[in-house]
Amino acid sequence: MEHAESADAHKVVRLYIAQLALELEGADAALRHDAIIDAEQHLNAAILAGASADVAIVEYGTPVEIARAYLDADSTHRSWRAAPSTASHRTVATPTRRHMHEIPVIGAWFDRRAWGAIAYFGTVGFILSIGYFIWSVAIGSLVIGLAPILIGIPLLVLLLGSARALCLFEGKVVQFFLGVRMPQRTQPIQGADHVGFWQRIWCWLCDVRSWLSLGYLLGNFPVSLVLFIIIAALTASSVMLMSLPFMHFAGAPIAHVDLDSGVNIQAFGETMPDEQGDVRLPLIVSIGLGVIGFLMFTGTLWIARGFGWIYGHVVQAIQVARPQLVTPPRIQ
Amino acid sequence: MPPDIADKLLRDLSLGTAWLVVLAAIARASTPIHGYEIARQLADEAPEGLSFKQGTLYPMLRSMEADGLVKSTLVASHEGPARKCFTLTAEGRRVLNAWCETWRSTNKWVNRVLGGIDGTR
Repeated sequence: MEHAESADAHKVVRLYIAQLALELEGADAALRHDAIIDAEQHLNAAILAGASADVAIVEYGTPVEIARAYLDADSTHRSWRAAPSTASHRTVATPTRRHMHEIPVIGAWFDRRAWGAIAYFGTVGFILSIGYFIWSVAIGSLVIGLAPILIGIPLLVLLLGSARALCLFEGKVVQFFLGVRMPQRTQPIQGADHVGFWQRIWCWLCDVRSWLSLGYLLGNFPVSLVLFIIIAALTASSVMLMSLPFMHFAGAPIAHVDLDSGVNIQAFGETMPDEQGDVRLPLIVSIGLGVIGFLMFTGTLWIARGFGWIYGHVVQAIQVARPQLVTPPRIQ
Repeated sequence: MPPDIADKLLRDLSLGTAWLVVLAAIARASTPIHGYEIARQLADEAPEGLSFKQGTLYPMLRSMEADGLVKSTLVASHEGPARKCFTLTAEGRRVLNAWCETWRSTNKWVNRVLGGIDGTR
């Protein structure tokens, strides 16, 4: 009887959660995730404390009221946000800065997320991905090797646990550099609250986020490698081109050739190298290449920002994934 | 007064006072306190006729944490998953004290003015 009441109460809560999720459709996935976790934990705590599901929901607020509370707080509270991406932020930004990143084409130069993406894909993200990959492969190999003598099982739990922790950490790094918001509420493992130790391990193994996190750590390395090569090559090339006019005005040669080698090039109407063996480009060519470098770097910033948006939302999707409730087997 | 304006004024008033009472509820707790417990205490102490929607507490706590007024820790629970419990930071305590002063003087001022209206009605 009591069990039936509890099942009914949880059904009512699930219905409420579905309505709340519907009200927050279109809102940021991390915000929706946090609102759902808050509501779920609060209502379950109220039911455990003896309240009926209907009363708990009335006291909590209708889905419309609660969705509005989250959206209002989100739109008025800048520090919730990781990046200056939405209209609400404009109200608190200074008039000069607030429109700079919205300027067509060159707006990327004033966009914190674009610079963050260059820094992330060019250094931090790539280095971290190597570390994650080495850890996952090293422990994963031990798990496979030691599985026949059962020591592999606790190692598998360690691997999945560490993958989840590293994925959460990666979320914070991604939020800082790429400006994609990550959920603030950690989602508990479904079904693992009221069961024993071994059943809890079973829930861990069945939780899709454990495997998604491990897949992320392994798959992140080749993706980060490709992104690192693209961003590093584009950045280095465009910075080199942009530096040419400055080198010209500074009187610095772009290259030096050993005169004994007999290299003699006719280019842009001039003979290179000069009698000292220095290679210098004419002013107009240096400026032209500098402009090309500027445009190339602007494109690089846009590309990095686009990669950052996609990459950040993949990490966000892993963290807001809602696994199905797992029923652990009874272990006597 | 048109209902939408009344609703807006009520929301404006509720937001400021809700922040004050939430900070006060956290301050008076001897140990870190979780969201459900804060909501229960505030609902129990709410005057008759005042509707306090407990679910609005969580976005508020989130904003307070982002502003550095409260800090949270995960505390293991026998009744379910670990709970996020809140304590006041030094900045939170400073804001609460300043706000209490403001509240008391505002309360006195508003009551004086409202008393004048009551006398003329």
